[in-house]
Amino acid sequence: MSDTKNEWGLLVPIIPFLLVVPYLKFLAGWESVEAAFLIVVVPLLTFPVILVLGQLYNGNETWKNRYKEGGIFGLGALALALSIAIWIIYDYIVGSAHFEAHSVVDPFSWLTFDVIEQSGTQWEVSTGFADIGVGVWIDSVTLMLLFVATFLCFLICWFSLGYMNTDKINEDSNHRFYGEFVLFAIGMFGMVLADNFLWLFIFWEIMGLCSYLLIGFYYWKESAAYAAKKAFLTTRVGDVFLMVGLLILYDIYGSLEFAVIFEDPSTGVGGALVDSGELFWALLMLFIGAVGKSAQFPLHVWLPDAMEGPTPVSALIHAATMVNAGLYLVVRMVPFVDVHVNGVAGLENFALIVAWIGGITAFMAAAIAFVQNDIKKVLAYSTMSQLAYIFTGLGAGLLFLNIGEHHAGYFVIGASMFHLFNHAMAKGMLFMASGSVIHEVHHAHDHVRELSEKYSTNEGDDHGDFDPQDMRIMGGLAARMPVTATAMMFGSMSIIGIPLIGGFWSKEGIIAETWKACLAEEPLMFVPALLVLATAGMTGFYMTRMWLMTFAGPPKSEVVGHVHEATPWIKEPLIVLSIITAIGGFALALFGAAEYLGDPEYDHLSFHGILDTLEHAFLPEDINLRLVGWTTILIAMVIGPVMASRIHGGRLIDGVEASPLVSWLVNLSSRFGSQDVSELADSQLAEALRRRLYFDDLYEMTLAKTAVPLAELSAWFDKNIIDGVIKQIESNSSTGSLQVRRITTGSARDYILMAAVGMLSIFALVWGVSA
Amino acid sequence: MSSIISDMDPATAQLILPELLMLGGIIAMILVPNFGDATMRIPLTKIRIPFLIGGTRFATTNNPKLPNQIATTTLALAFMTSLLFLSEEGDVGNLLHVDEFSRMFALVFSAALLLASLATTVRLPARPKASAPLDTDSTVISDAKVNALIDNRRQVDFHILLLTTGLGMSLMAMATNLFMLFVCLELASLSSYILVAFHKENDVGGEAGTKYFIVGSVVSAIGIYGMSLLYLWNGNLDMTDLAASWDAMEGMDPLATIGVGLMLVAFGFKVGAAPFHLAVPDAYAGASSPVAGVLATASKAMGFVALIRLLLVVTMPSEGQAFWFLALSIIAVVTMTWGNLAALTSDNPKRVLAYSSVAHAGYMLAALAATGSGLADSDTSALIVTAVVFHLVVLVLFKLGAFLILSMLEAEGRGHRMEDLHGMGRRDPVIAASMFVFMLSLAGVPPLSGFLSKLLMINGIVNVSAGSGSASASTALSWAQGVDPVFWLAAAIVLNSALSLFYYLRIVLVMFFESPATEKPLKRAPSLRMAIIACAVLTLLFGIGPLSNSLLDMVGSAVDSFMGS
Repeated sequence: MSDTKNEWGLLVPIIPFLLVVPYLKFLAGWESVEAAFLIVVVPLLTFPVILVLGQLYNGNETWKNRYKEGGIFGLGALALALSIAIWIIYDYIVGSAHFEAHSVVDPFSWLTFDVIEQSGTQWEVSTGFADIGVGVWIDSVTLMLLFVATFLCFLICWFSLGYMNTDKINEDSNHRFYGEFVLFAIGMFGMVLADNFLWLFIFWEIMGLCSYLLIGFYYWKESAAYAAKKAFLTTRVGDVFLMVGLLILYDIYGSLEFAVIFEDPSTGVGGALVDSGELFWALLMLFIGAVGKSAQFPLHVWLPDAMEGPTPVSALIHAATMVNAGLYLVVRMVPFVDVHVNGVAGLENFALIVAWIGGITAFMAAAIAFVQNDIKKVLAYSTMSQLAYIFTGLGAGLLFLNIGEHHAGYFVIGASMFHLFNHAMAKGMLFMASGSVIHEVHHAHDHVRELSEKYSTNEGDDHGDFDPQDMRIMGGLAARMPVTATAMMFGSMSIIGIPLIGGFWSKEGIIAETWKACLAEEPLMFVPALLVLATAGMTGFYMTRMWLMTFAGPPKSEVVGHVHEATPWIKEPLIVLSIITAIGGFALALFGAAEYLGDPEYDHLSFHGILDTLEHAFLPEDINLRLVGWTTILIAMVIGPVMASRIHGGRLIDGVEASPLVSWLVNLSSRFGSQDVSELADSQLAEALRRRLYFDDLYEMTLAKTAVPLAELSAWFDKNIIDGVIKQIESNSSTGSLQVRRITTGSARDYILMAAVGMLSIFALVWGVSA
Repeated sequence: MSSIISDMDPATAQLILPELLMLGGIIAMILVPNFGDATMRIPLTKIRIPFLIGGTRFATTNNPKLPNQIATTTLALAFMTSLLFLSEEGDVGNLLHVDEFSRMFALVFSAALLLASLATTVRLPARPKASAPLDTDSTVISDAKVNALIDNRRQVDFHILLLTTGLGMSLMAMATNLFMLFVCLELASLSSYILVAFHKENDVGGEAGTKYFIVGSVVSAIGIYGMSLLYLWNGNLDMTDLAASWDAMEGMDPLATIGVGLMLVAFGFKVGAAPFHLAVPDAYAGASSPVAGVLATASKAMGFVALIRLLLVVTMPSEGQAFWFLALSIIAVVTMTWGNLAALTSDNPKRVLAYSSVAHAGYMLAALAATGSGLADSDTSALIVTAVVFHLVVLVLFKLGAFLILSMLEAEGRGHRMEDLHGMGRRDPVIAASMFVFMLSLAGVPPLSGFLSKLLMINGIVNVSAGSGSASASTALSWAQGVDPVFWLAAAIVLNSALSLFYYLRIVLVMFFESPATEKPLKRAPSLRMAIIACAVLTLLFGIGPLSNSLLDMVGSAVDSFMGS
């Protein structure tokens, strides 16, 4: 099945998509922002095409091989979206002629509601409701997220061509996958570009829907169906709060447009001064929505289960894009609290809540990740933990901004956004790499089984107890999967925060500034600050553990011997993202990405000297911060990884070779001696962590006690009262109907008689009126 | 009458070009299929010159599809010229006045008939290859062959009746004289009676046609009697003159009132108002579906033109309540309720549609009644008439569209029972989807045009009653007592709409959730299929978006041209 033949020729159909931008730019003379709507519209048109063609040509060989069951169309639409995104980013950053920090572009209304009005003697269907006009909102955060979303959607779609289409179990249902994938992309792109909260919410919900559909892609599996339901319902809790928040905002400002609200967040509708108490509740409600979407404590329970979806989905939705929506929403709150420009003072408590939630989640998720043996679950908890870092950073930033320290505030918000970028790139890649591992292990297992049961008639995809995601059967894969091992190494380094690589630049900033907030401004920040610092070390541990369990040491099952890194379409995204992860963070740090992303007045990227940058990172002026920085480096780079190495490290078996860097790391891991942790693994704490600190049990129990009886009650009401009334009306109407039809005898004589009766009644009525 | 001919100049000809085209179509229909190679010898010589009429017919003129082609072309041309010269205005003779209003209706009529003519290719198929039965044929085959031959022979009859119906309706819309109006109405009506009974081999068809004719002629007689009373009262039947006399009338002249009341009966029958509607479901069920569709749309529109002229032009008092307000309101409410109730348990889709058509007549009558409540100013009246005309226009799409779909079923000998619709979703998804659109539109579900038109009517009625009913009423009850009775017309429409959902959705339900008796897809009939799909798409487009807006503008300016005059 996994043939190595070159399939690049299949990319020919996406060429027209790539020609759109050159055409628009050079021949049609469009501005890049004018084309922004295409980012949403083109996938929107592609989505039904994929589904309809998929239904029509289901099972057709050409459709399957040439068009990858619609994947090629999806890839084309996403390539177009990516190219337009790059065009816009180029225009705004390099060709700074068009740049304004916040520019609302309203090329035309995407959707309007018709209102029927009476004007004079005419009915007019007018397009009213100015609130729901749709435009494009572009600032540095939009640009960054737009790039992350389009770029990763494109790469992951590419990856899916290999991952999804070579698996028998997906055959003939991949058009469903690509259709939902593209629909998701619509949601994400639309949410990022939306210029008002209502549209943001609508696209947000589209993403929620797609998340549900894609987690439940293997809907016949009970666990997948359950996970999909769980994800949907849990995020729904957040979304209800989000909607309430939007209503309060509307109440305050009389509009949901960014342009109207951010013009001056301190004055509400009709020039009234905004009450910080009311705004606090609005922001808190929005934040709960964000907590649900970004899987933070206490609405975090859905994310690990969501790993039931196909791995590209985990990479796309639950690591790289959708979970960032919550962060995006919180970043959009910056103008509300920024007292430097028109913000509302007195919202420190809100900032603290954000930071605390972040700190708690970061620590908790990292702890749970210690005991996971499923490679994707480790990554899922790692995602939660890293997103929590960003929330903590944003919380610290909001705090700074609200008490007037806007330089520090902008910097830490920028650092958080930068971390979002680094994390999205690294985590998207880690998930794809884990997908590569899972995919190849799965195939190897099929292969092994074929060898052993060559003459068995037992066919199909029944794997029994075999779980290709379990790291306990791997080990030693470094030699079998060089590209994946290297990619995963860079990804893990970025997540851990190894100096100079990707996530280091942003994570350092977040931790340092959180401590700064704690030490200089607000003692209550101590808990989040301490938690994120500790989490840095824990991250070092669990990421190293995952990598070592998978790639180092001797093989732990015979399957490993048959693993080949052979599936097409899988390596290219890994290589691209490895490069970005390895050097992209440093490069962007040199250009001052954190300042650019955080400070609204900082409207251009400029080159900082390498030494300046390094000095800023490693030797900040404040001695406390220097201490914090070096502590972070020490525990994240040394203590965590070394402890993981002592437990899981080990050489590859003799005679197999990996690439030099990987070999060195593997050998290094075996030098720290070994430690037996079986006692620790049996402890109560480990059991609690394995049960995910009992949150799932608690929620389920609560729901069984409250929601289920309520649901039964409303079902009874629906069945008996509502249906009863309807049925009564229906039966009465039916009786009436039969009575009425009895008059229609079918005899012309009776008809004329009735006409005469009618005539006489008219006379009677007319006479009655006249007299 | 001679004045029409003597006045005929190019400008006048252009005014009534659609009607002239239809007349030309009728003449062509009479002549062309008879063209043959007959020759005539010039007396006393041996020279024979071609005479055309008679002899052996040419291949083209012998083609049984020819009448349908002539009718379709004529109606299409009439439709296009009506659209082209929509804003032309002028008098033709002293009995006809052409303006946007009448042109608008000419559009409705020709569109409805055009669709019916397209559908006839399936319902009354012409088979150029038909041959006489042989002795060796089995009974079934020989019956089929005989039927084919009969169908071929009857093409001309059917299509010529379609054209006379169109001509009558179209002229009726321009009539300024009640007598002219009535004559044209009868031309259209008599043609439609025959169309209903056209499938005379079929018991139902013959019976339905006869009943329709008997009831129709009695009611026409009543109408003509009423007209004669009006003539007696006024001395002529010119509508502007009648209106002037009506305004000048002091108190209520019994002669005039009774006359109008009697005419109300005649026009009420045309629109299918209760209790004059009883023959209508029979007629629809007995007629072939395209004809039933024409009755439900064009014929109904014709009745409404007559009613609008009679009620709004002739008898509308300059202030205060019109004397027919109460009668019309009660008729409207009874009509819609009766129609909806009767449709609920009906098991014949055509009867369901017929009753639904009665119900729709009730809605429109309610809207018209609101104009006579004495509360409506001229703007609001114009808006209500706009709503009614708009409804009549879009009705052609979704009511006739539904009948066209039934005609596809009829072509395979079914379509008279609800079971025939079972599993349409599986047999023919596109057609079923179109039917779904039509049903939703009939029920008035947004964003379809049926919703828009119903909304406009209700809006108009509520507009009339706005201001009545005290805003400061403390309880709902005291508000309800204070509000003008007109308001309850709107309430009746809303309640009835809810009731009607039952049977519209039942059709949808059986189409998608019952298993069909046969999996065979419906006949291909590409032109009809295109027409149905076009109807469905336009049903949507005229419900929301720019197209609906421009159609509303068009109807609005047509109504202005009528109300302004």
